[in-house]
Amino acid sequence: MLNIKVLGSGCNKCNQVEQQAVTALAALAEEDSSLEATIQHVTDYGEIMKYPIMFTPALVVNEHVVCAGSIPTVDEVAGWLREALDGAGEAG
Amino acid sequence: MMENVVAFVWQLLTAGWLALLDYLAAHVLLCLLPAFFIAGALSSLIPKETITRYLGPRASKWVSYPASAVGGFVLAVCSCTILPLFAGIWKRGAGLGPAITFLFVGPAVNILAIAYTGAAIGMDIAVARILLSVIFGIGIGLIMARMFGEKTGAEADAGLFDRRAQVRPAVWTLFGLLIGILIVGTLQVDLLTRAWFSVTLPVDFPAGLLAGLEGAHLNLQGALLILMLLVIAPVAWIGMGQVMRKFNGWTWAALGLAVVTLLIAAPYVDTSSSLVVGLTGRFLGEVVLLGAVVVVAARGLERHELASWLGETWKFVKQIFPLLLVGVFGAGMVKAIIPGQWIQTLAGRNTVWANLFGVLFGVFMYFPTLVEVPIARMFLDLGMHRGPLLAYLMADPELSVQSILVTTKILGPKRTWAYVGLVTIFSTLAGYLFGLALAVL
Repeated sequence: MLNIKVLGSGCNKCNQVEQQAVTALAALAEEDSSLEATIQHVTDYGEIMKYPIMFTPALVVNEHVVCAGSIPTVDEVAGWLREALDGAGEAG
Repeated sequence: MMENVVAFVWQLLTAGWLALLDYLAAHVLLCLLPAFFIAGALSSLIPKETITRYLGPRASKWVSYPASAVGGFVLAVCSCTILPLFAGIWKRGAGLGPAITFLFVGPAVNILAIAYTGAAIGMDIAVARILLSVIFGIGIGLIMARMFGEKTGAEADAGLFDRRAQVRPAVWTLFGLLIGILIVGTLQVDLLTRAWFSVTLPVDFPAGLLAGLEGAHLNLQGALLILMLLVIAPVAWIGMGQVMRKFNGWTWAALGLAVVTLLIAAPYVDTSSSLVVGLTGRFLGEVVLLGAVVVVAARGLERHELASWLGETWKFVKQIFPLLLVGVFGAGMVKAIIPGQWIQTLAGRNTVWANLFGVLFGVFMYFPTLVEVPIARMFLDLGMHRGPLLAYLMADPELSVQSILVTTKILGPKRTWAYVGLVTIFSTLAGYLFGLALAVL
């Protein structure tokens, strides 16, 4: 189970990050059709400030901030998603 | 009746067109074009950590306040970086005071806004805008910290601010050169404006061409510049849009055209008898500096750095320039409608009320980035005093109904209203003092 959040005001850059996340997720879903995931774009500043970040857009996977202040590539995002999946697998 | 309407609309359109020409004139392009490249470089080549390391919870006041004031210059080219960083400095870093200073100074020291103000309105206002917003930004920060307690972030968060970044000498050199281009392009001193050589080109223009241009209120240089912009637009669209992924011939073509535009704008051109091109100090300086930029960028920058620099620059141009054109055109039309008398009655003299009017207008009217400058110029032409004009220019990017609402969400209503009150008072004061200083000097 993946829980992905994009933090940002809804500006251009934030939307690009969301786009990258969606693309990466689609690639993963092709490998594993049983993959379950939620993706959410958080624009509320009160909510955003709960995470330890200084810059938006930020990407949060299973409540871990994986990047902030830059637009990651699709491969990078896919890497983080795989790590999160492996971590969850070991814990479960 | 119908004829009157047509004549009126025609008059409005002419007014808009004239305003546009004024803003696409050589001296404005010489400032805006380099300023866009500088803004792009700031946002792509300077890592944010160069400044955030001075804004952590362990930073002393003597470091954190000035760093917040300067930080806006490096970091705040886009408004969506300001708010999260503001929240971060407040909650996790140096505390409320420096965060407020950052929030206040950020929009004011934006390189695009300062350069544009200098070219379109005057260096006196541009310099006053920087100096007063830095001084008052620190003042407002200190007062807010005193009012609401100076609580800094937890030690646990210090790590967020500890990250350091190296900026290579090549990048600093590039910056120095770009700023040099901006300064050489805009400064009005004899060394730069004098024509050191004149070249008389044996070109005979058909009389009809020049007369036709004059009919449209254009001279040869102005017409060439507009032609260049019209050519650059589609070329840049193709060449710059995909620059993050790959460079193509169009990318180089767009860059080449931008350089040529600067070089057309720099010399002095006289067409009264035959075509005389005066090679001014400005022109010679720009040739040298542009050459140096090309060398430094080619040798010192990695391919991906170059790509993200150009990509960011293009993003700013795409985001700001169209709005600017619309804003300039609109301001020109409005100028033709509003009687100068209104503005002169409200803000023709440097009084506290006139300054307050400038500030309140800035708060309630929302204009996109940079459009405040043509609006201010319109006020100036209609007879506004330079004091209230500065008050308006300081308040407009700081406060708008929209930004007050967002800030309330982060700061809570009590702190927000205190902040809004302080900004109103200080901006009014800034305009008033500037007006007084002008009268004395």
